[in-house]
Amino acid sequence: MMYKIRHDTKLSYGTGVATARLNIRLKPVEWPGQRLIDHSLDVTPPPAERRDGYGPYVVNTTSLLFRDGVKEVSVNNAMKIEVAPPPIPNTSPTIAETRDAALTSRGLDPLSPAPYLYGSRIAVPESRIADWAAPLLSPDRPVLEAAQALCTQIHEDFKYDSTATDSQTAPAEAFEDKSGVCQDFAHVMIVALRGHGIPASYISGYLRTLPPPGMDKLVGADAMHAWAAVWCGPDLGWIGLDPTNDCLARESHVVVAMGRDYADVAPIDGVFTGAAFQKMSFAVDVAEIDEE
Amino acid sequence: MASQTQSTDLFGPDPTQDPLAWYKPDDARADMFASAPDDVGAAWRTFATGLTRLPGGLRQAQEWVDRQVADLGLAFRVTGDVEERSWPLSPLPIMIGAAEWAQLEQGLVQRACLLEALLADIYGPQNLIAEGHLPAAAISGSADFARRMVGLSPADGRHLKVVAMDLARGPTGEWRVLSDRVRLPTGIGYALENRIALSRATGPLLADINTRRISEFFNAMREGVAASCKRSDPRIGLLTPGRFNQSYPEQAHLARHLGFSLVEGRDLVEQDGRIYVRTIAGLKRIDALWRWINTRDIDPLAFDSRSRIGVPNILNACASGDLVMANWPGAGVVESRVMSAFMPRLCRTLLGEELRLPNAATWWCGQRREREHVRANFDNLVVSPAFRLPVEGLEDGRTCVIADADSPQREAIFTAMERRPMDYVGQELVRTSTTPVLNGQVIEPHAFTVRVYLARDGAGRWTAMPGGFARISDDGSLRHALIGENDRSTDVLVIDPAGSEHTANPPKLDPPAVRRQQGVLPSQAADNLFWLGRYAERANQTTRLVRVLLDTGHATGRALQPAGATTSARRISALLERLGAAYGGGDGKEKTPAEIAQAALSDISLPGSVASLLSSGRQLSLLLRDRLTHDIWRIVNRPLPACGDDADSLGASCDLLVERFASLGRLLADTMTRGPGWTFQQMGLRVERASMILQSTIALVPGEASAEDLAALLDLVDGQSTYRSRYLTMPYIAPVLDMVLLDPAQPRGLAFQVEQIISHLSTLPNLRDDGMPETPLRLARSLRAWLDAADATDLEPSDLEHWRGALGHLSNEIGKRYFLNETLPGSDGAPFLA
Repeated sequence: MMYKIRHDTKLSYGTGVATARLNIRLKPVEWPGQRLIDHSLDVTPPPAERRDGYGPYVVNTTSLLFRDGVKEVSVNNAMKIEVAPPPIPNTSPTIAETRDAALTSRGLDPLSPAPYLYGSRIAVPESRIADWAAPLLSPDRPVLEAAQALCTQIHEDFKYDSTATDSQTAPAEAFEDKSGVCQDFAHVMIVALRGHGIPASYISGYLRTLPPPGMDKLVGADAMHAWAAVWCGPDLGWIGLDPTNDCLARESHVVVAMGRDYADVAPIDGVFTGAAFQKMSFAVDVAEIDEE
Repeated sequence: MASQTQSTDLFGPDPTQDPLAWYKPDDARADMFASAPDDVGAAWRTFATGLTRLPGGLRQAQEWVDRQVADLGLAFRVTGDVEERSWPLSPLPIMIGAAEWAQLEQGLVQRACLLEALLADIYGPQNLIAEGHLPAAAISGSADFARRMVGLSPADGRHLKVVAMDLARGPTGEWRVLSDRVRLPTGIGYALENRIALSRATGPLLADINTRRISEFFNAMREGVAASCKRSDPRIGLLTPGRFNQSYPEQAHLARHLGFSLVEGRDLVEQDGRIYVRTIAGLKRIDALWRWINTRDIDPLAFDSRSRIGVPNILNACASGDLVMANWPGAGVVESRVMSAFMPRLCRTLLGEELRLPNAATWWCGQRREREHVRANFDNLVVSPAFRLPVEGLEDGRTCVIADADSPQREAIFTAMERRPMDYVGQELVRTSTTPVLNGQVIEPHAFTVRVYLARDGAGRWTAMPGGFARISDDGSLRHALIGENDRSTDVLVIDPAGSEHTANPPKLDPPAVRRQQGVLPSQAADNLFWLGRYAERANQTTRLVRVLLDTGHATGRALQPAGATTSARRISALLERLGAAYGGGDGKEKTPAEIAQAALSDISLPGSVASLLSSGRQLSLLLRDRLTHDIWRIVNRPLPACGDDADSLGASCDLLVERFASLGRLLADTMTRGPGWTFQQMGLRVERASMILQSTIALVPGEASAEDLAALLDLVDGQSTYRSRYLTMPYIAPVLDMVLLDPAQPRGLAFQVEQIISHLSTLPNLRDDGMPETPLRLARSLRAWLDAADATDLEPSDLEHWRGALGHLSNEIGKRYFLNETLPGSDGAPFLA
């Protein structure tokens, strides 16, 4: 599947700020089954400094510095990308085996399981979520099957409500209300899996805007989307699951970045000085195009 | 001799001769004093006997020490406290002989080297992980593991400059490490202050028993940090989270003692890979920071974007090598309890040596075999969170002695370990030695732990502070906080008995070059000094207003009636109301001058009351702890005198307060170095005094005035006697206004204040390239010109209003030019400039 993606963001600062520093995390990382053919990240006005980097999780970060009373910044992210996900395995190791493999793993690189075993800034451990998921996550169950069951459970129990939460909502709160958006569902799923010692991560990305013929429009296509990934042992690695749409993340999902939770991969954040406020507006279009 | 032996036989030992003679712990081997070698035991006895000779004897030794502590201004906060508490120091220190210390020191230095090597690998090649010596999951669980720091090594190769370790002495005299502290060496300042307080309290006693000095350690530490800096005469800062932090008082003491600038994140700015402090003379480069804030808060761009106490992009300065950071960001990863499980093995792998100083035996449940061991021996172990974070079953993040736990908790921990074994460690139960502690007159054995400190000297070698900070627990439990609710601290002495072969080998130090300038004044300190001057003067002037109110209202003592009458007392109370020091008369009930005075002095819910102003002044003085002498500190922190409800006692309180303000002024004048700090404090005072003179004049002489009004105004500026000797008649408007506003020879008059502001501004650095005066100086000069040109006989109220506006403008411009931009117009500035 080939996509042409445009994502335009506009930041306004009212009266203007003395300096603004931004971290932009919008360039897709290398990912199994994904081929980035074309990419541009255009910023106006031109920043005083611009640095591109990778890490510390599976994320590309562009750091920008603006000086001299900037009032408005626009960020235009455009790309052409091919998605051909590898086949889904029939079997996976059990949860107990997965946990032991993660605990004996010998690496700390961004794709290794150890960094994703513990609580993180937003995905704080929550025993009520772990208890709720416990019947689905018995140690002898294959990990992918269990994660898919969890994905379905979240889809059934939670209501999609774009007014209920914001980007800083704690998973415990979304769990309490049983409502939220893609980000909250991903966080709940991560907290549930980690509560049982299973490495789980947060993925930010894009979703195709128009559904395949004869299918419903996917939820979350009008903005950036988020889902979870579960580590299924050293052989299978990371497999994405989308609790918002109760499906595996396959050819409709374009991975931009992976981290422990939203805070590691927030599309745009930063700090500014000056007596101003920040307002953000954006538009996303993910169009399927003919393969050349 | 013979008679003494006899009296000992008949009545037991004489407690004034040797208070320790009756000290009998159950297990002598497990007690510091009872197991001490003879020469160290003798030192102990000499010291205890010395305590009996203090004023008040042994019985009042604690009180005597408490007084030294209070005089030093030693204080602390328990998390959640708003007010600081006075520091609990026990008079009887713990003594360690030089031979025992030398052995201990070797173990400590080895451990510091081990921690350094461990960090160099974790943030470097990570061979330990790849080769299976250290599981990746034992690192990633630490909240202090900073992935971003992997591959970023310090320019001098040293991740650690200062470390602390908690030690316990076991029942057979062997020392063990309980924990390593590399993020924050809390207690290091208290160890220093404990020594100063004890030494002040006991005179020559410490020297008599050959106590090793600790001051060289602090000098070595300063040199150690300085030696890593690129510039030869570096500027070093202590980066504090701010005054609400639990250990802020300690940080301020340390900064003053070490000669470091006490800076907050907002004082600093990163530019092109360097860090600068904002000062009144523009940006000045900082070479090194001793950080007292967590890694995740130091840089909102690299770590937690919500941090408001960090410095954006400070990591860039670390990476470029132009900023020395003690300790390196991410160093805290080695603090996890889980590390103890691997230390013996890591020591062999990294240093090729056996671990000299054991830590408590530890099993990490993230490993299968170790997990089985913990399960099988569950009831004989202590179970703790592996990473110092709250976990299921241990919600307070603390250690649990399983044998002491109730069965639901035991079950809860056991079950939670099934789901997430990597969150737990099992540890052997460490039993601790006791030390003699003075309780009232009795000396009793108490359990203790000791925190020791190590720093690198100028050559990069580790050196240990000879002594440390001991915590004596009331109930024998080990808490994590530096000091708990009922705990006490005491000093730890290393004793070099005469002729000892282990005499101290102090690090060699170079004396500093002679200098007179104290370094540049950070904008924030300038801001605080300015406002301290304003608050103190506002409190002073408000007190004077209250005193005049009491004098003029005294004749009647009744409520201020009839409504609408323009008595002087009514005019003053209206002014107090405008200043936020009196309630509006909205409730229809008129108040007596005494009622108004009482509220204006002591009602903390009135923002302009003397009590509120003093409280604001105290808050500011907290921020200036490193710049104010102890005497000033004490006067600022003295409580408000009792305010009765009759005019006489209120008048007496006013007199007392006015005297106190006068002695504060004298102390400041006598002790503050003449430099920018003094200038800003004085400018605050002058601006405030000028503003109060104008406001009082406007209130008392709104175009017309009675002789009583004019007399009141003269009283406010201490001008009665001058006026009488100059004019030999009752007060008239023009002569009074000339004295109060225009005569530059009157030290409490307006013109004098403006003159002073101009001379202070002229001493400050000018940032303009063209040689023109900066805005504040220009504004002050134009105000002076108006006063010079004015004629008292045709002054209009509008002239006074105009000058008041100009003064407000001047104060704002001083703020804009010299203070931090973000804080202006500050919320606390507004009521003053209304």
